[in-house]
Amino acid sequence: MSNKIMVWDFPTRTFHWLLALSFVGAFITGDSERYRDIHLLLGYTMIGLIGFRLIWGIVGTRYARFNTFWFKPSAIASYVRSMFQGKPQHYVGHNPAGSVAIFLLLGLGLLSGLSGLAIYNEIGGEWLEGLHELSANAMLAVVIVHIVGVFVSSFLHRENLARAMITGTKSGGPAEGIQQRHAWLGLLLLATVVVTAYAYLYKDWAPPGLTPLSQQPVATEKRKHDD
Amino acid sequence: MKHIPHKLMIMLALAATGLTQPVFALTAADTLKQLEQSAKQTDPTFKGVSAQRGERLFKTTHGAEWSCASCHTDNPAASGKHAKTGKVIAPLAPAANAERFTRPDKVEKWFRRNCNDVLNRACTASEQGDVLAYLMTIKN
Repeated sequence: MSNKIMVWDFPTRTFHWLLALSFVGAFITGDSERYRDIHLLLGYTMIGLIGFRLIWGIVGTRYARFNTFWFKPSAIASYVRSMFQGKPQHYVGHNPAGSVAIFLLLGLGLLSGLSGLAIYNEIGGEWLEGLHELSANAMLAVVIVHIVGVFVSSFLHRENLARAMITGTKSGGPAEGIQQRHAWLGLLLLATVVVTAYAYLYKDWAPPGLTPLSQQPVATEKRKHDD
Repeated sequence: MKHIPHKLMIMLALAATGLTQPVFALTAADTLKQLEQSAKQTDPTFKGVSAQRGERLFKTTHGAEWSCASCHTDNPAASGKHAKTGKVIAPLAPAANAERFTRPDKVEKWFRRNCNDVLNRACTASEQGDVLAYLMTIKN
C-alpha cells in the first residue's frame, strides 16, 4: 500500500484547478458590473472546462472515468459512516463522498454557466436569473463541503488528498497506477483557457456565444433587462 | 423532523431559495414613498428627497471609475449601454419604462449592486430616494 503510484492524469488535475479558480473568480465578480467582462469569461471557461471533463470522463484514464466512481447510494452511505467512525475505507481513485461532490459540481457548474450565458444572450425569462443565483450559491455550498471533506479524509487517511490533486500521485499497489499522464493534453487545455482569456480581454475577440467587448450583443428576443 | 408535514417542508425549502418570494407590484411613486419612509426611520434629520441632489449623484463619479450615467447615460429616458459589455439597457426613467421601480426585490437588488460599483459602498435610503425623485422628473 505504501507505493507511490500515478492516479490523476494531467488533464484531470489541470481541469480541477482551473475549474476551482474560474468558479471562485466568477462568484466574486458576480455582483459587480465593473468586472462583468471577467465574470462572463470565467463563466464561459467553466462551461468549456466541464464540457471537456464530460468527454474525459468517458475516454480518459482509469480514475478519471465516470464508470470508476459511479457508486451506489449504499456505498456512499457506508463510506460516510466509516468516515464518521474515524476509519474511512480507502479508495485509490475518488472515494464515494468525493464522487457525489464531483457530480454535483459538474451539474451545478453547468447549470450556473449555461443559465448565465442564456441571460447574457437574452434567451429565456427572468426565472433564469433566479436559477443562476441559486445554482451558483448551491455550488459554493458543495465546494465548502468538498473542501471540509478533503481535509477530514486527508487527516483520517494520513494522505494529503489536495497535494495528490497537484502531483497526481497517491499510495496504492503497483498494478493500480495509470500508465499515461497525458501531459500534452493537460497543457493544451491550459493553453486553450489562457489564449481564450487573452483574446477576449485584450484582443476584442469572442468565442461563440459571447460578443467581442467593443460590440453590442445581438438581442435574440426582446431587449429588456435591468443591469 | 417527523412532526413537520411534507408539504410544509417543501414550502420551507422553496421559501429558503427565494423562489416563492411574493412580488408586490407597486408604482414608482409607491417605491419613492417607501424609500422616504425608511430614510425617515434611519435618519431623524431627513428632510425629504431632492431631485437635484439625485441628479448630481446620478451624473457624477464618486471616487470610482463610473457614475450611474456611465451605463444609463445622461438621459435616463433613453436606452443605456453597459460600459463594459456594450449590452443595451432598457431606459431607467419610469416615464419611458413603466416597469421600472415597481418591484421592491429588484429595486433592492439593483441599488445594492450598482451603488457598490459607483460608490464602492451601499446607498442610503435617502440617496436612493434622491435618485428616484430625479428619475421621476424626467419626461419621456
